[in-house]
Amino acid sequence: MNDILKTAKNCRHYAMCKIDFLDTGLCASGMEKHYVSFYPQGRMDLYAALAEERIPVTEKCIEIADSCDLCGKCDYQCYFVTEMKPSVVMNALKEHIRLYLDQGGEVLMPKHDNILEELKGIVGEYWATNDRAVALTYSHDPCPLAEPRMPEYVIMPYSTAEISAVIKLLNTHNIKYAVRGNGSSVMGFVMSEGAVIDLGRMKTIHFDEKNWVVKVGPGVAAFDLQKAAVNRGFRVNVAEPSALICANIMCSGIFSLFSASYGTAADNFVDAEFVGHDGEIFRLSDKSAQNLFAYRKEASGIPGICSSVHVRLHHITSDESAAFVPFESLERALDFAKDCAMRRIGLAIGVLGGEYISVFLSPTKKLAANVKKTFRDKLKIEYMVLVIGDRYSLRSIKEMGYNYFDNRMIKILNLGLPSLTSAKWLDLINDFTGDEPFSYLGLKHFPDLAEAALAPSPAQLVHDVDPELRTFFEKLYSRPEMTDPVWLNMFRIISARMGREKHVLAIMIYLPIDNKLITEINNEFKRIADSHGLKNDYGFITPLDNGKRCVFEYDYYLDHTDPGERKKAQQAIMEAGIMIEKHSSETGTVTWIRYVFGQGFSRKESFLFSTDEADK
Amino acid sequence: MTGRKTEDNEKCILTGATGFLGSHVMAGFLLKGKSVVIMGRSSGGESLKERIRKLLRWFGIEHLEVLLEFHETDFQKTRMGLGVNEFEKLYKRRLPIIHCASDTSFSEKSRDRVMKSNVENLSEILNFAIKSRAKFFHFVSSAYAAGTDSIKCSEAPVISVNFNNVYEESKAYAENIVSKRCGEGNLPYTIIRPSIVYGDSVTGRSLRFNALYYPVRSLQLIRDIYLSDIKNNKGIKSSEWGIHINHEGILQLPVRIFIPNEGKINLIPVNHFTESIFSIIENPLNKTYYHITSNNPQTMASLVKYTERFLKISGLEVVIGTPSADEMRNPPEELFDYFIREYRPYISDRRIFTRENTNRAVSGVLPPDLSYEIFERCMNFAVSADWGRNLFNK
Repeated sequence: MNDILKTAKNCRHYAMCKIDFLDTGLCASGMEKHYVSFYPQGRMDLYAALAEERIPVTEKCIEIADSCDLCGKCDYQCYFVTEMKPSVVMNALKEHIRLYLDQGGEVLMPKHDNILEELKGIVGEYWATNDRAVALTYSHDPCPLAEPRMPEYVIMPYSTAEISAVIKLLNTHNIKYAVRGNGSSVMGFVMSEGAVIDLGRMKTIHFDEKNWVVKVGPGVAAFDLQKAAVNRGFRVNVAEPSALICANIMCSGIFSLFSASYGTAADNFVDAEFVGHDGEIFRLSDKSAQNLFAYRKEASGIPGICSSVHVRLHHITSDESAAFVPFESLERALDFAKDCAMRRIGLAIGVLGGEYISVFLSPTKKLAANVKKTFRDKLKIEYMVLVIGDRYSLRSIKEMGYNYFDNRMIKILNLGLPSLTSAKWLDLINDFTGDEPFSYLGLKHFPDLAEAALAPSPAQLVHDVDPELRTFFEKLYSRPEMTDPVWLNMFRIISARMGREKHVLAIMIYLPIDNKLITEINNEFKRIADSHGLKNDYGFITPLDNGKRCVFEYDYYLDHTDPGERKKAQQAIMEAGIMIEKHSSETGTVTWIRYVFGQGFSRKESFLFSTDEADK
Repeated sequence: MTGRKTEDNEKCILTGATGFLGSHVMAGFLLKGKSVVIMGRSSGGESLKERIRKLLRWFGIEHLEVLLEFHETDFQKTRMGLGVNEFEKLYKRRLPIIHCASDTSFSEKSRDRVMKSNVENLSEILNFAIKSRAKFFHFVSSAYAAGTDSIKCSEAPVISVNFNNVYEESKAYAENIVSKRCGEGNLPYTIIRPSIVYGDSVTGRSLRFNALYYPVRSLQLIRDIYLSDIKNNKGIKSSEWGIHINHEGILQLPVRIFIPNEGKINLIPVNHFTESIFSIIENPLNKTYYHITSNNPQTMASLVKYTERFLKISGLEVVIGTPSADEMRNPPEELFDYFIREYRPYISDRRIFTRENTNRAVSGVLPPDLSYEIFERCMNFAVSADWGRNLFNK
């Protein structure tokens, strides 16, 4: 496989090319034509399919290839997340089509289809298609548990009324459908041989500040909503930056490190509008509506299509800052995180592992690997608890006797990472620290010393970035927000690189903050993945409901283009599932997120806690 | 030395042989051709034997391993973790015991661990010694077990109730337990109290690089941070604090070292410690305390001069007194202060240790004064061993 095809096939469908998180502007054709096929993500899939002769050249292929202006923005975005440069694929796609046409190749025109015509009658001529090139880009995702399914139709409605009419029409013709988010769920949920409904055109955002809500259309991504909210002085609780708000709530409910104070699931919204499976429109607040706040422990489908949601707004105070509290063990980190949650200290709390921290700080895989090693071997940091809060919260942490890396230190560390990984003096710091780990962080002048020792600068940080992109990244890291842990967390950029080395498969569970139980499950996750030779690592833990429960992510990594690794991942997930079920039945307090999928509008209390015991 | 096992009447039991002082005692015995029974534990995935072998290689006496007998012990367990037969065979041999095992942490945060190691763990080894009716129990303590209540510290039981840190306190408790239990069990004993031990004054070699080495290592670290800033970052941070390369081409590093009073640092080289301990145990006097200390301790000012010369820096200044809370401290001062915080009581120590008992035992042989030549030799070795990180390649 040549490098271009390899790059094309390695698109992880994280949809980071569909949000302007680097302030570079977005792919112009994607903005105009909305189908994923016109974004770099779709072109990657399309080129791979054409190169492997899995689809013919169609009318849309030509439009998709022609519409790329080779601006190169996708290189910045994709390199930031995966260290890939898609523009070589964009170029190759254009070249492939040009050669094909030069050689007199036949272009497959769309076949007439009465149902398609009816769909076009509802959504408009351009916004429904059965072109195979478009369909291909909606046919698969990197989830090892999902098999590709080529849809007959791809439909992009613009309003709730259009969604309703589309559903009724599809029902009339007995056509199955799936609703698509920004990426492709990466969980295998959004494929259908019938129709795929892409809500990417429905990007309305309406603030009602008086009532502390913002009404969000189903095509609005987390990053865009947060940006709009922050511009007005508010914050919303959001998931991954490219995830669509409505889809995300529908799927699992939104959780983030801010869930420690903002909650999850039904805590995050006030009302929502749906189009039911019968095509009828209802609101969550209707007395006669189905009770989506209720929860049942079962793998269930979605209750309909969420066409808008009233998301809750939260305060931002001017003195918010971050504390990264280092720990040598998971147990001690958990104790601290639980203590903070119980005492309501901090807005966002997360127990982060070495992989998470090093990947988020480092612009390249190579540096991330060195940083992870440095943190573990030299700084003796295995885990960090990130707490974001106001000055009173951070003061409390000091009073609790913990030293931490503050915003300034994190910036110094971040921009000085290459020096840090080669710093001999780190060994000495630990030797001198002796029995009081991390006490050096309590020195008033430690940041000054670290600055002198690390000589932090954007230029230093990006020294092993691809030379063609280095200037851009140097400018990027000169921007204050790119080293501001509050901003990076609020916009969820902090976790965007988790799948950089390989596609990441997050296994999520809800459980009590019970050190023994968590350690046991953590070890089991590791043992299972190791036994299949899969890269794996602890992800994060965030306390919920004042520390009574937490959400725990453990990550398995796989090369989704390698059938062998996909098979191993399938097996590992199955074994992990059995292990979770065992703990769930033994403790009665462990809930696998699998049973929350499709029920993200429910009250968190209904899946975090059980009333069975009390009823006995 | 060829290494032929000696009879039991020339042997002794040694604990703490993997530590700094214990390993030198072990090596000293082996070089005298005497067999040693080693009691110790595995650690960090290495068995006791592997740990000792590594040390023998360091001393260059691997061929003398045949003179050693190993018993993996755990002083927190009944019968020191030995099997019934092994325990029985061992105690019946009535070997003299040198108990060097110790936790040398000063940190209050490690109080539980230090007390367990230095005090609680005595119980099983003393049970063994008494049951064995050992010929002698030699307890290696510390001159600083004397505590802080009196400047004049005599070779006698501790009377202080105040201590600088948990290490001193644990050693005082331990001495008390040893004298009490040995007295009750009719077990003859000695208490041997070295002051701060550094490397070999003749070769410069050392296995540990704390105490004397810490301030030098700290200043080397600080020096390197600012040299790097000057070299790689135009000295931007250095200039904020008046740190620069002076006209002689050496780093001007303005660091005030605050010490509470004009005390001194009592240092002895490890070779003097081993020579003294052998003299003591050759003709030990029951219930006797021995100070292996210097009669001519160093001043901080002289050590600072040595350090400046060794590290090729200038600007260090010893200030008698305590900085006021609002006194401006520069980053190197704060870092240096932090690094040596646990050693602060020992760099301006006013305690004077008498050594009549020791003088008698060693026939008046005194430790050499720490000259710059000895200092340089020791520090050169420390640097070449990367302060212990590259130790076993040396």
